[in-house]
Amino acid sequence: MSAGDACMVAFQSDVGDSGAVCVRGGGTRWEVGGGPDGAREVSAPVGIVALDPAEMTVMVGAGTALSDLAGELVIHGLEVGMKGPSGATVGGVLMVGRSAMRRRRVGTIADVLLQADCVGADGVAFTAGGPTVKNVTGYDLCRLLVGSLGTLALVGRVILRTRPVPARSLWLVGEAEPERVLDATYRPSCVLWDGVRTSVLLEGHGEDVDETAGRLALLGLTATEPPVLPPGRGRWTGRLPSGGVLEVGSGVVHQADDGGPPTVPDGVRRLAGRMRASFDPSGRLNPGRDPYRVAA
Amino acid sequence: MNVPGPLGLSGDSLAACVQCGLCLPHCPTYRVTGDESRSPRGRISLMAAAELDGAPMDDEWLEAMSTCVQCLGCETACPSGVPFEELITTTREVMSSDRPAPLRLRLGLRLLGRPRLLHWGVRTLAVLQRLGLVPRSGLFPARLPLGGGQRRSTPGGDVLLFTGCVMDACQPEIHDAVVDVLVAGGRSVERTGEAVGCCGALHGHAGLRGEAMRRAEAVMAALPGDRPILVDSAGCGAALKRYGGLLGTPAAVAFAERVFDVHEWLAANAELLPEPSGLVGQPIVVQDPCHLRHAQGVHGAVREVVGPYATLVELDDEGLCCGAGGAFQMLEPELAGGVRERKLASIGRAFERSGARTVISANPGCAMYLAAAGVEVRHPMEIVAEALEDRHGR
Amino acid sequence: MRRMSGRTRDPLLSALISALDAQRVQTGDGARRLYSRDASVIRGGRVGVVCFPETTEEVSACVVAALAHGRDFVARGAGTGLAGGAVPCDEPVMVVLTRMDRILEVDVSRRLAWVEPGVVNLDLSRHLSGTGLHFAPDPSSQQSCTIGGNVANNSGGPHCLLYGVTSAHVLAVEVVLPDGEVVVLGEEEGDSVGYDLRGAFVGGEGTLGIATRICVRLTEDPPDVATLLLDFMSVGAAAETVSAIIAAGMIPAALEMMDQRVVEAVEPFVNAGYPTDAAAVLIVELDGQPSGVADEIRQIKELARVHGARSVRVAAEEGERERIWKGRKSAFGAIAVIKPDYYLNDTVIPRTKLAEVVQRIYEIVEEQDLIVMNVFHAGDGNLHPLLLFDAREAGVMERVLAAGEEIVRVSVAAGGVLSGEHGIGLEKKRFMSLQFSPADLEAQQRLRSAFDPVGRANPAKVLPTGASCGHVTSLGRLPDGAWV
Repeated sequence: MSAGDACMVAFQSDVGDSGAVCVRGGGTRWEVGGGPDGAREVSAPVGIVALDPAEMTVMVGAGTALSDLAGELVIHGLEVGMKGPSGATVGGVLMVGRSAMRRRRVGTIADVLLQADCVGADGVAFTAGGPTVKNVTGYDLCRLLVGSLGTLALVGRVILRTRPVPARSLWLVGEAEPERVLDATYRPSCVLWDGVRTSVLLEGHGEDVDETAGRLALLGLTATEPPVLPPGRGRWTGRLPSGGVLEVGSGVVHQADDGGPPTVPDGVRRLAGRMRASFDPSGRLNPGRDPYRVAA
Repeated sequence: MNVPGPLGLSGDSLAACVQCGLCLPHCPTYRVTGDESRSPRGRISLMAAAELDGAPMDDEWLEAMSTCVQCLGCETACPSGVPFEELITTTREVMSSDRPAPLRLRLGLRLLGRPRLLHWGVRTLAVLQRLGLVPRSGLFPARLPLGGGQRRSTPGGDVLLFTGCVMDACQPEIHDAVVDVLVAGGRSVERTGEAVGCCGALHGHAGLRGEAMRRAEAVMAALPGDRPILVDSAGCGAALKRYGGLLGTPAAVAFAERVFDVHEWLAANAELLPEPSGLVGQPIVVQDPCHLRHAQGVHGAVREVVGPYATLVELDDEGLCCGAGGAFQMLEPELAGGVRERKLASIGRAFERSGARTVISANPGCAMYLAAAGVEVRHPMEIVAEALEDRHGR
Repeated sequence: MRRMSGRTRDPLLSALISALDAQRVQTGDGARRLYSRDASVIRGGRVGVVCFPETTEEVSACVVAALAHGRDFVARGAGTGLAGGAVPCDEPVMVVLTRMDRILEVDVSRRLAWVEPGVVNLDLSRHLSGTGLHFAPDPSSQQSCTIGGNVANNSGGPHCLLYGVTSAHVLAVEVVLPDGEVVVLGEEEGDSVGYDLRGAFVGGEGTLGIATRICVRLTEDPPDVATLLLDFMSVGAAAETVSAIIAAGMIPAALEMMDQRVVEAVEPFVNAGYPTDAAAVLIVELDGQPSGVADEIRQIKELARVHGARSVRVAAEEGERERIWKGRKSAFGAIAVIKPDYYLNDTVIPRTKLAEVVQRIYEIVEEQDLIVMNVFHAGDGNLHPLLLFDAREAGVMERVLAAGEEIVRVSVAAGGVLSGEHGIGLEKKRFMSLQFSPADLEAQQRLRSAFDPVGRANPAKVLPTGASCGHVTSLGRLPDGAWV
């Protein structure tokens, strides 16, 4: 048995098969979705298990700090399409399920997770997904797990898709309509709009970035530092709240406080209820936490 | 290898279909119905059912076969090279021997073999049209000719122009345009005229193999020699080029080699074409008749020949049938109408994209069927003829 | 369409006819035969009734009628699936979605479109021509297959290497759940609210409900595209070049390999100028902005040279590009010039194992005295060995299936998975336990049960547990149950 497998066995044993339980990561978004009411806290394994640059995948303990993983990957010119607060763990960011601001380039967070080694509510270990970058074998449990706040299974170890780090990155800002900026660029990594100014992140080959920046200069955009966004999140409703910044095309508004949860139709709620009951009939995983009580 | 079934189809031809379904979007009747039994894959499967498994050729089966337009779009699309024309033609022949075609179709087809009667009928209809007594349909142009037209013909000329039956009676101005262009290019033209008459295309299409063979023999007998035979109707051209396969004689094979679509021949003899004006031509939408694109594979020649005189606009439906299909529009009016709706939508999008208001079609059947829906349709050779200086003066 | 008798004593038929109409409910022998199979080698499916609904309400009515009369239901698009996902087992109600083929809305500024499930994949991109946008998933059957089918199978295609498979391009989907209820899963914008039920639904192979409206993401057309044809004297050299390209930090839009037999079969059909004496060719497509593309062309030429490519051809114009791609996309049909039948396998392996596994496939096929053509998505390690045979030959199907099974075993042993884009359907469900433990499969069953507690939605598919489909066989004569 490898060291990685031994960690998973220990994780499975920690989770056990009875009693309310949850995994605590970095605790950076611990309040999201409420709960967990009186649940025993366990930790997921830590550390990079396998990194194969030619396969563009990495296997990592869910308890690994995202910054540690990023630090190792960048040595190989790679990154994962995930972003979290300082101190956040890989597992925690996946369970909260918020896509990175650069999603236009790196994809949504649901696209990052290829395989997850989990422990179910019955204490039995199982694997969701598979190790390859392309895989449609069976049901897509990985996508279901991302954003589930640990209410369906507890994730101990994952395989993630990696991507090459862009050769050049450049933020620009100026007072132009977001649509005009989008029309003048090809697949920008991020476009932000604060109601007056539009910021855009260009990434890719150096000469292409320079050439696009030259075109955007005609719209009045100039180079700037990466923006600092307010900590809360809300969903775009057609109006920007005071101090809010819209992530154009993603429906996400960065704002001072988290917005209220969106209304969910009854049919969807019923299906979600059946899903949770199907995976965790006794309700021991993250009790009291509700993925539908999240702003965005 | 023929299998001992009721249809006498080739076992290898049936087995060539791997049922991949790449033909489906190229089949006009599948496009309209979304029904496998209206698709090439489905029809082949049903042929195999009757031929190999003894499935009954009941009404459901017969309808699947009789609703095929025989546009051959599937054959062009098929990467496995399934000889669909061979399969459906053989099947339809067996069907027509068991189940006669409708009376009005048989009467109509008989008329095609009697050019004088046809001309007389068309002139009568033309008069009735002008009196407002004929409803608009796809069977005839909106304004049939009353009289004879110019009919320039040089017996013993350099080339033969196959004038056919319906077209000669209904749209003589198209033949005139071809003759004008060829004569201006320095070639003398002999029209085949009433003595030769119908090529038998529609008879073959309806599964009346015997009558189609008789027509082929008559046409060949009337046109001996080795002069090239030019055809300005894609449907007739496709039929004439298939005489070799139809009759299976060396003489028929040799005859078929003399047959050219007029655009095909002019593309190879481009020096005969009038000098382009050098101005940007009007935008014109090109409609590819199935008998040009799928049966003859020479639709590119239309673009080569007309290109210098107009700005050609392509449709976005990859040569899907318009629904006319010879007698198909008459036998399956509802289905044909549905097919035409798709073509009209594609034409509408092309008009919107380009500002064009005119469609060119190298087949009179397509032209009349589209015109009946209110589209302005012209023959490609009419556009070329307009580039002739002596025509400008008129 | 064939008219059903308006009066019938069969209560299921009466219910369906009153929900739709007599023309759109078929029970004739012909219809039952045609809808008993898809494009896979699986035969022996048994149809109950074939329905052609045109609205969400009609789809729901078909589902409700099936439930009320104790029947299963199976959704079907164009029937181009290769794993038997749409093959009916226990005389179900077939819900054929080809008549629901309207493009409902295109929002260019938000880069999304709502379509009905019967819209043909390529028709959507054609419809978008002039907007600068397209629908990225491009399975080889894209001229025929429907977007509903793409959603059911989470379809891929050459360009999924860079752009991702269908799931990455489906924002939301209106679903008739297996109890007839209609819900919308997913959001036009943003991460999922609550569970990603949309993500769970995509790839469900018709076992989780029926998609009736789909909101797809539209992708910007790249300003520059380059298509390269690389020519190698060995499959190994081509495979090494694939790994080298990825390891150099490039993600081409597409990276495809074809071996000599494929090239020989398709070249006469497309006249793309493929080198018919090469052991393998790679098609590499690069897209993006001009400087990046030019730089990657330089890098790939250099890598190709280092790994022994005989030549690198860059397509000079659009027509040449199209011919190169047409050859690739026609490969599965073009085999008929060699043998009348094919069995197309679909597994994924780590791309660093390509050379080794492809070599092993040649050996396996040799052992079974069959012919194989390899044409596949090399960039993501997605193999498509195409076994050629003539089903009229006695005993051939046993050899084909034995070779297919061995290829699956070798792929999984190499660290791969059962399917990269065709799905499991009936074809591979008996192999699921090669890749998954009983606990893994139970977790998948939990997902399925939440959608379909009663088990009426295409029940015999995907998971090896549950409903069987004993009378279904593969092409040829196998004893009942030998296949599934």
